Amino acid sequence: MRLQYILEQAISNLRRNILVVFAAVVVVVVMLSLVFGTIIIRWSIDRDIIQWDDNVRVIAFLNDDLSIEEINVMQADIQGWDHVDEVIYFTKTQALEEFREIFFDQPSLIDVVEEDPSILPASLRVKPTVAADYSTIRDRLVVMPGVYHVSAAEEAIDSLVARAGTMRGFALWFIIILGTAAVVLIANTIRLAIFARRDEIGIMKLVGAGNWFVRVPFLLEGVIEGMIGAVLAVALVWSFAGPIAELLSMASNAANPPQSFMIRQAVLLLGFGAGTGLLGSAFGMWGFLRD
Amino acid sequence: MIRLQDVAKVYDGGTVAVRDVDLEISKGEFVFLVGPSGSGKSTLIRLMLRQELPSSGSIWVAGKEITSLPGWKIPLLRRSIGTVFQDFKLLPSKTVHENVAFALEVIGRPKHVIRSQVPQVLKLVGLAAKADRLPNQLSGGEQQRVSIARAFVNRPLILLADEPTGNLDPATSVGIMRLLDRINRTGTTVVMATHDHAIVDAMRRRVVALERGRVIRDQSRGAYQMGDDPVSVAPAADHDLIEG
Repeated sequence: MRLQYILEQAISNLRRNILVVFAAVVVVVVMLSLVFGTIIIRWSIDRDIIQWDDNVRVIAFLNDDLSIEEINVMQADIQGWDHVDEVIYFTKTQALEEFREIFFDQPSLIDVVEEDPSILPASLRVKPTVAADYSTIRDRLVVMPGVYHVSAAEEAIDSLVARAGTMRGFALWFIIILGTAAVVLIANTIRLAIFARRDEIGIMKLVGAGNWFVRVPFLLEGVIEGMIGAVLAVALVWSFAGPIAELLSMASNAANPPQSFMIRQAVLLLGFGAGTGLLGSAFGMWGFLRD
Repeated sequence: MIRLQDVAKVYDGGTVAVRDVDLEISKGEFVFLVGPSGSGKSTLIRLMLRQELPSSGSIWVAGKEITSLPGWKIPLLRRSIGTVFQDFKLLPSKTVHENVAFALEVIGRPKHVIRSQVPQVLKLVGLAAKADRLPNQLSGGEQQRVSIARAFVNRPLILLADEPTGNLDPATSVGIMRLLDRINRTGTTVVMATHDHAIVDAMRRRVVALERGRVIRDQSRGAYQMGDDPVSVAPAADHDLIEG
């Protein structure tokens, strides 16, 4: 009975002020699309530079015939060099894991590697003390016995990382601004709804309706607005995720993020939308539904 | 049932609505609050309902000191009080039955209780036959009956009525007063603010007269004015309906 009443109230509130509700929902959609888009772009950049994560700037791929002892000696040796912060031994097994992660969407490639994992070499990954200062380390590694290939982070990667950071910064500001707008607009719809029902609310308070019984329909209204916005944003971004990732990816193996990742983010987004709505409702009711 | 002790209410801006009010109303009493507009009648009612907090003093309603009541307990206090106003405060889109049922629905009474209580109270106020009408299809007197039904449907201990006959003609007012009297006879304490001389003089109940926020007279079986004795009913023409 009461649940039904609360739902009916919330829905009739939404219908009554359809235009302002529409405006609020649109802003939520734009904001959450930006959030979701940023998450996907971030994912795709992270994937492109996965090897260069965590300040790794030089990777020395090792010959297969080296023993563990020899590798340990090399690792200790490099660790002693100038400008070297840390040397990480990356085993063949780890290399296989990473390969799977990068090429998750190309099972034929993974099949090939899994048939003969030995084709993925072990490596030593070097973090310089200063990220940009890796050329001497690279030059010394190239001539080191037991190393068959040296790969260094190119400037392109550095600048990609930097640009990604700047972009995230911008996106964050946009999200904050739009988020504030969304909260204000939702608060506005709640205020209109309270105004439209002021007589009813007055009577409810007079006859002793519980405070939360009066408030919950309005809270729910904001949450519904936020969730509708989130659902639309997910639908929008989901259908454009591929092109976005492709557009921004530096690698040739651009791909949609895996389904599981997308679902996880979509659920988070729904929560975010609901939270925005709740916040908007809370602001809208502020001081209006006191005893 | 209701006790006010040294109560004063000063609004922001310095307007003194009531001051030095000491008042005790027992269970089952019928009390008129009389006095000109602005004398503090409505403020007293609002204070008893905890719609306002006094600037100083204490108020007990149904055994509880209500000025220190936490916010979440205020609804419980109001469930023990029925309220009737000059402007009826009915919801125009709901029928008579729905308006009365609303008061029970929003405090979470189960459906079967609503189904049995609402028709019963509508019968009490004489509107059983008009349960499906909308408020704008009723006369003023009938609308006030609906509002009384809504106030009484939860069987409150106290009924507070603020100028319940203020919008009604004298003949209709008599009917409303009969109804309030009947409700009083069920044991409900009735406090009614009014400036309707004829009604007060005809009913001869306890009269608490206010002037500029103070109680200037508290008299059992009293008349509207000090001198009116014993039963000198003012002519209908004297009804001053302009006063708020």
